[in-house]
Amino acid sequence: MVAGLLPGVRVLDVGQGISAPYCAKILAHMGAEVIKVEPPEGDEARRIGPFPGDTPHPEKSGLFLALNVNKYGVSLDLASTDGAKALKTLVAGADIIIENPPPDTLEANGLGYETLRSINPRLIFTSITPFGNRGPYKDFKATDLVIHHMSGHAQGLLGAVEDPDSNPPIRAGGHQAELVGGMAAATATLMALYRKRMTGKGSRIDISSFEAMVNQHISGLASSAYGRPAPPRDLAKVQEAASAGNVGAIGGILPCKDGYVAVSPREDVQWERWLGIMGDPEWATDDRYTTRDARQRNSPSLWKLLSEWSSNYSKHEIARWGQEQRIPCFAVNTVLDLLKDEHLAQREFFVELSHSEAGTLKYPGAAYRFSHAQLPLAARPAPLLGEHNRSILENLA
Amino acid sequence: MTMNDLPLHGIRVVDLSWIIAGPTSTRFLAGMGAEVIKVGSARRPDPSTGSPPFQAYNQSKSYCSLNISDPQGLELVKQLLAISDVVIENFAVGVIERLGLSYEVVRAQRPDIIMVSSSGTGHTGPDKDYVAYGSLLQHYTGWNSISGNPQGEPVAGGLWADPWVGMELAMVTAAALNNRALTGQGQYVDFSMAEALSAALPGAILDYQMNDRVPELMGNRDAFYAPHGVYHCAGPDRWVAIAVTNDEEWNALCHLIQRPDLGSDSRFAGLDGRRKHQDELDAAISKWTILYEDYEATRLLQEAGVPSGPSLDITRVFNEPQLRDSGYLKPLQMRDDELRDLPGLPWRFDGGDGPNLTEAPVLGQHNEYVYQELLGLSVDETNRLVEEQAIY
Repeated sequence: MVAGLLPGVRVLDVGQGISAPYCAKILAHMGAEVIKVEPPEGDEARRIGPFPGDTPHPEKSGLFLALNVNKYGVSLDLASTDGAKALKTLVAGADIIIENPPPDTLEANGLGYETLRSINPRLIFTSITPFGNRGPYKDFKATDLVIHHMSGHAQGLLGAVEDPDSNPPIRAGGHQAELVGGMAAATATLMALYRKRMTGKGSRIDISSFEAMVNQHISGLASSAYGRPAPPRDLAKVQEAASAGNVGAIGGILPCKDGYVAVSPREDVQWERWLGIMGDPEWATDDRYTTRDARQRNSPSLWKLLSEWSSNYSKHEIARWGQEQRIPCFAVNTVLDLLKDEHLAQREFFVELSHSEAGTLKYPGAAYRFSHAQLPLAARPAPLLGEHNRSILENLA
Repeated sequence: MTMNDLPLHGIRVVDLSWIIAGPTSTRFLAGMGAEVIKVGSARRPDPSTGSPPFQAYNQSKSYCSLNISDPQGLELVKQLLAISDVVIENFAVGVIERLGLSYEVVRAQRPDIIMVSSSGTGHTGPDKDYVAYGSLLQHYTGWNSISGNPQGEPVAGGLWADPWVGMELAMVTAAALNNRALTGQGQYVDFSMAEALSAALPGAILDYQMNDRVPELMGNRDAFYAPHGVYHCAGPDRWVAIAVTNDEEWNALCHLIQRPDLGSDSRFAGLDGRRKHQDELDAAISKWTILYEDYEATRLLQEAGVPSGPSLDITRVFNEPQLRDSGYLKPLQMRDDELRDLPGLPWRFDGGDGPNLTEAPVLGQHNEYVYQELLGLSVDETNRLVEEQAIY
């Protein structure tokens, strides 16, 4: 079986932090040869944790280690003549270069798109910035937090709240906006690579992480285009809508002995089976809960009744009973639950890698398995800073 | 880009998918030049049919009606697969095989076809048959356990698992097309929605192994940067998000809010110092933000060089000038005679505006094209199949 899908494809990852390195990691997972080019002080992700014992160490950042598996690593000072020259030589032999500059680092060092294209006319040049290279916000500074809020995602995260003015919208944990920007970049880059294979054309790709996150809201944007109002954040307004029959299917989180379980027995047949799981409680024959419509109108009181029952059991227990009855039902898993999950273990989702400084750790692998290619998910751990300077840079001269 | 310049020009995709994740993936392929033929049936309509989201999910596609449960319908889809490059489906595990379209059958029609199968938890493993809706599945993936207010309940939603997966399915398809162009090899792809989301939690997964802890819930705060939050602006439920990532931005913020004393206070020097005193700093920042509208606060903060932006609901996102000036939202003339601003693709090639997407089709709109032009059926034959509800 072939190792990966992109044999012979060479990628330069001159990005830092999250979005561009994530894009390059996806290409590395797919089997491209990725060379990470870091400044002499290292990628900024090396300074962002988590670290063992919360003690910062440039070779032990969990975030850096995970985002840079399967890459080779060189360090170059692009502001120096030698560094710029080395990068140009690398570009001449590359298919793809990926950057996420704090405005124009490549450009500022005389290594902008036009220069690199003159060296390699078929180059695919992928640039990820918070707002892309056009529009009124093109020079705005933003982080994951800012993009999460500006793209509308923070509004819905908590669900409805009693007092919106004392309970602000919050962002999701992790680094969703930057990861989605990186995924958009990988998608566009692989399409450009296909065009290059078929026609010989290079590409310049401009990615806005803001737009990539807004695009996740495709359903809401379409509704807005048809004049539909945004869902309210105010609980009183949501309940008003519910009693008027204007909310979607019931579903949500129930408390358990050891955490929470998410469930949605929305269809009548699912509801019947759900009642069976709960031992057919007496209240179920109450008019307020006998039809789907009535359950939706009375969901606040219904949810209290369900919570009283669920608090007696464990989340995995309830999830299993629900799924056995074909009801969408999932434990609210923590990362510990994932690491212990038998299903993920059998699918070999986690990949174990040994790193000379950080030791042996399990890394999340890929969501996809190909019938006729083995992805090189465990080819090598993230590079030490400048680890391949000798083997790669000295061979350039 | 002209049509012929689009990267996936010449690729034909049979889209057997429905609901959200699958249709959004084939939308990316269609927008980038592939000919996407959506196959559906009035027997079991795509749940989003008739809703505004359908108009976005299915832009730039052709749509034929076909009852795959009918033996003649199955035969037609096989003929279509024989002249196609990619097929995508996201039925519950086992359904595509029961319909008679397992990878073995599909590959027999077209040996180098790329078949992408997406399901909630993937196509192998003890929980492969789990019933999944995206909104619930995200609880399984670990995401909801890392988001929320300190000591609060896990969050209810917000991840939009389906469109996330849609993009990743398009990415996987593009990777497989590259490989096929090089080697001639087709693929079957087993895709797990849950794993797509869990794979995007690297920090938390490694933190657990390094420090034996599940990440604490932090609301809008960050384990590294500070100050880091949303601050009340003038008006009900109006907020500006501010993230200070270094000393330079911190000093600029102190200057802007006319609190140079904070900037020179050694307790707040460096990220560590500011993280320790967030409550105090947040209170000082809020006294300034409450004086301004959220967009005005953003303008002043950005002029000072501080990462910031308003916290918007979807209506305000939709009205953002940035999305029109960048060419993402573009007006499209619809069959209801309205001009509507619908989303484009979240990338630009070669400095251009991005492809012009066309209006979503209605079921059966392209029957004549698919059955007569592509498959070579006669008008009589087509009519007979319509009569017998194979084309239905």
